[in-house]
Amino acid sequence: MEILFKPSLPRITLSLKSQSHLLRSSSHLRTLPFTISCKLGTSQDGNISKKIMLSEVAPPPLSENDSPNREAPAKPPSRRGGAVGLLQRFPRRVLTVLSNLRLAIGEMFTIAALMALGTFIEQGEPLDFYVQKYPEDNPVLGFFTWKWIQILGFDHMFSSPVFLGMLILLATSLMACTYTTQIPIVKVARRWTFLSSSETIRKQEVSDSLPRASVNDLGVILMGAGYEVFVKGPALYAFKGLAGRFAPIGVHFAMLLIMAGGTLSAAGSFKGVVTVPQGLNFVVGDVLGPSGFLSKPTEAFNTEVHVNKFYMDYYDSGEVSQFHTDLSLYDIDGKEVLRKTISVNDPLRYGGITIYQTDWSISALQVLKDGEGPFNLAMAPLQLNGGDKKLYGTFLPVDDPDSSQVKGISMLARDLQSVVLYDQEGKFAGVRRPNSKLPIEIDGKKIEVVDAIGSSGLDLKTDPGVPVVYAGFGALMLTTCISLLSHSQIWALQDGTTVFIGGKTNRAKAEFSSEVNRLLDRVPEIVETSQQGIIQ
Amino acid sequence: MIFLTLEHILTHICFSVVSIVITIHLMTLLVNEIVGLQNSSERGRIVTLFCITGFLITRWIYSGHFPLSNLYESLIFLSWNFSIINMLPYFKNGKNDLSAITSPSTLFIQGFATSGLLTQIHQPKILVPALQSQWLMMHVSMMVLSYASLLCGSLLSVALLVITFRKRRRVVGKRNHFLNGFFYNIQYKNEREKILIKTSFPSSVNYYKYHLLQQFDYWSYRIISLGFLFLTIGILSGAVWANEAWGSYWSWDPKETWAFITWTIFAVYLHIREKKKSEDVNSAIVASIGFLIIWICYFGINILRIGLHSYGSFPISYN
Repeated sequence: MEILFKPSLPRITLSLKSQSHLLRSSSHLRTLPFTISCKLGTSQDGNISKKIMLSEVAPPPLSENDSPNREAPAKPPSRRGGAVGLLQRFPRRVLTVLSNLRLAIGEMFTIAALMALGTFIEQGEPLDFYVQKYPEDNPVLGFFTWKWIQILGFDHMFSSPVFLGMLILLATSLMACTYTTQIPIVKVARRWTFLSSSETIRKQEVSDSLPRASVNDLGVILMGAGYEVFVKGPALYAFKGLAGRFAPIGVHFAMLLIMAGGTLSAAGSFKGVVTVPQGLNFVVGDVLGPSGFLSKPTEAFNTEVHVNKFYMDYYDSGEVSQFHTDLSLYDIDGKEVLRKTISVNDPLRYGGITIYQTDWSISALQVLKDGEGPFNLAMAPLQLNGGDKKLYGTFLPVDDPDSSQVKGISMLARDLQSVVLYDQEGKFAGVRRPNSKLPIEIDGKKIEVVDAIGSSGLDLKTDPGVPVVYAGFGALMLTTCISLLSHSQIWALQDGTTVFIGGKTNRAKAEFSSEVNRLLDRVPEIVETSQQGIIQ
Repeated sequence: MIFLTLEHILTHICFSVVSIVITIHLMTLLVNEIVGLQNSSERGRIVTLFCITGFLITRWIYSGHFPLSNLYESLIFLSWNFSIINMLPYFKNGKNDLSAITSPSTLFIQGFATSGLLTQIHQPKILVPALQSQWLMMHVSMMVLSYASLLCGSLLSVALLVITFRKRRRVVGKRNHFLNGFFYNIQYKNEREKILIKTSFPSSVNYYKYHLLQQFDYWSYRIISLGFLFLTIGILSGAVWANEAWGSYWSWDPKETWAFITWTIFAVYLHIREKKKSEDVNSAIVASIGFLIIWICYFGINILRIGLHSYGSFPISYN
C-alpha cells in the first residue's frame, strides 16, 4: 500500500498508519480510512490518487482557530414569547447592526466628507454672507443654495447636529464592535489551542514538515527565538506578540476616551479673551464665559490679575522675536499668590485656570509737549493691506481742537521700539525711541516721546476635559505603536519521526515565513546509527 | 555666504545623483539589466541621502533653528524622508523594490522645491514667536515623515491598481514588459516566463503578475501602517502643542481638519483589509484616494487658504 502511494502523496501513507490518531480528532476524517480501503481492491492507481485528492479538498475541519473569524452573534437568539422576546432581541439586533464593519467604514467616509465640506464652506459668517455667496438663482453645483446651508447647519459645521450625530454614531459603532468582535478575539487568542491533526497543520499559511526531528527540539529553538511554547504530548503550540492582538482594542478605547474628553471640554469649559494695557488689572471671573451646560465656576474665579509689565524681544533685523507679560495674581483678600512672566508657548497655570499669551497691541504713547505733560495719547490700530504686520497711530493736535480743520502731529508705531513722527502737512519728521529722552522739533513744538505703553492680549481658559483627552492621546499613541506588532502562532505535531509545523501571523507575513524557515533550519536532525538515536 | 554656497552645491549634487539613479532604473526596465550598475545605483542612493542630510544640517547651523519653518524647508525634509524610506528595505531583506517609487519622488520634490516657483522662500527666515517651541521638532517632523510614508504606500497601491486593471483587460498569454513594472528582477521573471511558456502553461504570466501584486499589496500595507503610526503621533503632538500655546487642543483649523481627514481615510484603508474578500483592490482604491488627500492637506491648504476666512487665533500660517 505504501509503495503505491509514495510517488504522489507520501503523507497520506503516514496518516493511514496512524488512523487511530485521526479518529480521535476531527470528525470528517473518520470517513477517510473507509474510502481508501474500499477502493483499493478494485480500482487502478489513477483512480485511487484522484480519490485521495478529493478527500483532500474535503470541508475544513472544525478546528478551534476558525471561530475568531466568525462574528459572535452566530449564537441563536434566545427564543422567548412575543413582544417581550422582541424587546429582548432588539438590543442584540441593534448591536449586530452597529458592529457591522461596512457601516463603520461608511460612517468614517461620511465624517471625512463632512469635514472636507466644512473647510470649503466658510464657517461662522452671518447669514448675508451665505445668501450672497450661494445665491438661489445661481446655485453652486446646480442645487446648493444658502437654504441648504442654513437647514443643515453647515455654517457651523463642526457643532452642527449632522456632524455631531455622525460622531455619536461612530462612537456607538466603536463600542458595539469592541464588545461583539474584538473581545471574543482576545478570549480565543489567549486560549492555547493544540492542533492534533496533521491535516489542519498543513492547511496553515506557512507549513512545513521535518522528516527526522523531535518536537521538543523545536520547542527549545522557538523559546530561544522569543516564543512562548507549550508542549502537550506530541503536540506543540507557540505564540509571540500577543500584545498585537490586544492593541486594536486599546486603540478603540483610546478613541472613545478622547471623544469623551472632547465632549467634556465642549460642555464644561470656560473661555475668555482680554486685552489689558500695562499697569491695569482685571478679575478672572469677569472675563470668562461658559461654553456649555456643564460649566461650573470655581473659587479661583475671584482671582485678580494684574499686568505689571509688558515687553517684547526683537531680532537684530527688527522683527518681533517674543513678547512677555509679567503677571501677578491676587486672591480675594488681596494677597499675592503667584507671580510669573508668561510668553507665547509658556502659559501660567493657577487653580485650574490657564492664562496664555496670544497677542499684543499698543495702547498709548506718553509724550511731553514743550515740557508739559506727560500726555497719554491712545493709539488706534491702522489697517494694512494684508499681511500680519501691525501698525498703530495716534494724533497730537497743535491748534485749537474746536476749529474745523484740526492740524496736528501724527505718530505711528509698528512695535514698542520706535515711533515715527510726521508734521502737520504729513511730511516725515523723524524717528524716536521711547525712553531715549531725545526730543524732536516739529513745527516749532518740542516733542519728547516718554514711553510707549503696550497692552497684552491674553487668553484665559479652564478646561476639565484636558486630563482625559491627554490620557486618551497617550493611550492612542502607545496602542497604535503596539498594534504594529504581529501576533504569530506556530503549531507542531510529532508523527512518528516527522514533525509537522504550521503557522500563521496577522501582520508581517513575508518576514514570518522567512523567520520560520530560519528557525526550522536550526532544528537538529535525528540520525539513527546502529539502534541508538544520536542527535547531531 | 559660505553656507549658502554649500547649500547650493549639496542640492545640485543630490539632484544629479538621483537623476542618474533613475536613469539606471529606466535602462534596466527598457533595455537590459546591467549587473555592474546595481552597486552604483545603491551607492548613488546613499550619496543622495548624505547630501540631503548635509543640506539640512547646514541650514540648521546657519539659521539657528530646526530646518522646518517654512514650505521650502519642509519640502526638502520630505525628500530627505523619501531617501530614508528608500534605505529601509535594505535593513529588512537586502532587496529594494521601493526605490522605483521613492527615487523619482525624491527627485521631483527636490526639483520642485529648488525650482523657480518658490525662490522667495529659499532664504532661511527667523522664527515667529508661535514657533519657538520644542514641539516644533517633534510635531512637524513626524507629520512630514508620515506624509512621505503614506505617499509611498499610496503610490504602490496606485501601481497595484494599474496592473490589476490592465491584467483584467488583457488576454492571457500576451506578455508586456511594462506590465511587470520597473523592478530590477524583471529579467529573472522574464526568463522564467519564457521557459514556462515554452512548456505551454498558459497561466504562468498570470501567476507572476499575481505574485507581483501580492508584493505590492504587502509592501503597501506595511508602509501605510508605519505612516499611519507617524501620522497619529504627529496629529496628537500638534494638538498638545496647540493646547500649550493657544489653550485649545483642537480648533477645527483647516490644516488640522485635513490632517484628520487623511487619518480617517487611512483608518478606512486599514479596516477594509479586515474583510478577506477582495481586500487588495478595495483597499488600493482607498489608498489612491488617500494620495490625493495628502496633497490637499499638505499643499492645497496653503494655496486655498488665501481666500478662506482665517481661522484660529494666529493669522500666520507657517506650513
